[in-house]
Amino acid sequence: MDPRGPAPQPFQQPEKLGRVRRRKTRRERNEALVGSRRPASRQDPPVASREPDVTRQKPPVALRNPVAPAAPKLVVITQSRLSREHWGLFSHEVKSLDVARLLSSRVLEPGTPPLPTRPSPSLESTQEPAPQSRGKENQLPGGSGPGPPSPPELPGMGQLLQELQCHLILPQAFPRRNLVQEARDTIVGTLQACHGCVPDLALVLRDCQPPLPGTKPRDPEGRRMTPSWINSPEQAPGEGQQRRRRGAKELNFNMGHASSTPTAHRASLAPPRGPWPPPLPSLPSPSGATWSPPTAFDLLKSIWLVATPPPPRPPPPPRGIGPPQPLPQPPSPLLCRTSALDWSPSPPASLPSLSWVVAQSSPEAWSFPPMRLY
Amino acid sequence: MDGPVRPRLVSVSDFQFGAVATETIEDALLHLAQQNEQAVQEAVGRMGSFRETRIVEFVFLLSEQWCLEKSVSYQAVEILERFMVKQAENMCRQATLQLRDNEKIAPQNWRALKEQLFNKFILRLVSCVQLASKLSFHYKIIGNATVLNFLQALGYQYTKEELLESELDVLKSLNFQINLPTPLAYVEMLLEVLGYNGCLVPATQLHATCLTLLDLVYLLHEPIYESLLRASIENSTPSQLQGEKFTSVKEDFMLLAVGIIAASAFIQNHECWRQVVGHLQSITGIALGSIAEFSYAILTHSLA
Repeated sequence: MDPRGPAPQPFQQPEKLGRVRRRKTRRERNEALVGSRRPASRQDPPVASREPDVTRQKPPVALRNPVAPAAPKLVVITQSRLSREHWGLFSHEVKSLDVARLLSSRVLEPGTPPLPTRPSPSLESTQEPAPQSRGKENQLPGGSGPGPPSPPELPGMGQLLQELQCHLILPQAFPRRNLVQEARDTIVGTLQACHGCVPDLALVLRDCQPPLPGTKPRDPEGRRMTPSWINSPEQAPGEGQQRRRRGAKELNFNMGHASSTPTAHRASLAPPRGPWPPPLPSLPSPSGATWSPPTAFDLLKSIWLVATPPPPRPPPPPRGIGPPQPLPQPPSPLLCRTSALDWSPSPPASLPSLSWVVAQSSPEAWSFPPMRLY
Repeated sequence: MDGPVRPRLVSVSDFQFGAVATETIEDALLHLAQQNEQAVQEAVGRMGSFRETRIVEFVFLLSEQWCLEKSVSYQAVEILERFMVKQAENMCRQATLQLRDNEKIAPQNWRALKEQLFNKFILRLVSCVQLASKLSFHYKIIGNATVLNFLQALGYQYTKEELLESELDVLKSLNFQINLPTPLAYVEMLLEVLGYNGCLVPATQLHATCLTLLDLVYLLHEPIYESLLRASIENSTPSQLQGEKFTSVKEDFMLLAVGIIAASAFIQNHECWRQVVGHLQSITGIALGSIAEFSYAILTHSLA
């Protein structure tokens, strides 16, 4: 782009061909113009100063600080561009990032990096100072990210969201579509195809009873190890066969907390022998004194369904040395419960939960067991 | 506007389980568990959510029309939800400040802000879907022309500049962190591990049902979690505080994933259901009771 452009040069003398004396003449004329015709405080740039000013040695008159004339050799490359109409990518007028600062009486440091001559509209909007954007929809609060909102003392935010959801009017873009019904039909169709009928859903809860019903409804230690029937050929006929057929390694992932202590290196598919419950490798507790349920869901259930919080528990002795200590266990949802309580201790997630062990830095404390080859 | 186009979604046969090295699966699962833990922790204190059935359905159908992957539609819902929560926060914050400054003007501004939010909602929604598409495969990115045509067909005369500004607003509001986790990643990862561990029900078979169930959980998010909350407090009426505390459960994608897979296993082959649930418990450490309760809640709403 030629910044000089085809602008008319009203004071230009007729030039002879082959001789270029125009630039010198213009500069002299400009100086004469500024000195004689224009007052020092006027900020309109001279017409002829539209060419790039990077190489200029003298500061632009319009940007000179009348109060502090101590920076006479200041070079501002944006000079005389800020007041011109520049049309940007989306037909927006391109403005400087901070025109007011340039035109104000502040003394610019000689080392001040030159401002971008063509700031993009997006940059402009990004740098928009907060007071100007007040009232706009997207006022970005300082330091806020997409994560959890800072615990707000905001009144009725939940209600506001509810209200917004209820009163939103969505256009009828997809008539005759009901995804909920379609998904339900798909599920029922699959059930019909697989079983010929819709099974009793109560089986879900009934089947989750412990393996030995009648003996212990839910043994605390039972959660802390892999259920024995997982490896039982009686419970899973064909499982071993399938594994052998696959010839693949097994990932005995145990991501959880102490409850899913790795049962790695199970040498065979036979149920585990030895003392029951099997010894659990010592797993450091985050606090050393408390044990927590694995998930926030379990924790909340344990809070709401028992009258007292899980009692602090002294650090367990090394497993296998002393008698196994019964661990505090959130009551089963299938068992008789007390009434729901609104007792809420400090944030539940601050207590260790499912992946606390995962987050531990020490690989010795918890690690994935290696694969198993069949 | 175009009629509903049947999806050209990825078919089940496109997925291949068991093709990734076990070390990679371990690392990925560990990463997901850490991510989940962080999300659950950060959910504490979060007030409110923005997952209404009509809105989620709109996003799903729009993604379907634009032939986007399932993961994109879930991600779009996540982006939209966080963005709207952020908007509501900002509105409340501004309202509080204005109330302090001038009590007379505050109600008017409050109404104006809400009106603005309502008016721009569709624009925000499509921006979220467009952003989610950009996080997916580059050849499936939804261009501005497609979005503008869609909006125009609905009677919205937005310009390209407004569309771009809306996209930028969403990005800025979320601090450019839009690559949000979705439960689908957890489901697929756990299916992969189940496959390695010798699960009797094939992973590909479970996967198809899992997708349908995950759709349902997104669509019926509030009712399903309400059921779960009621089950956890013995069917009594939950208090507001209990509801707020339960937000962390709603953000537990690992719990959601095991519930989805368990429900899927029950649908596919409930003779092997116990084996699948046992594997899931062994993998994640989540209690059998919790898995069963969650899958029961999902199944109940699936067959309602």
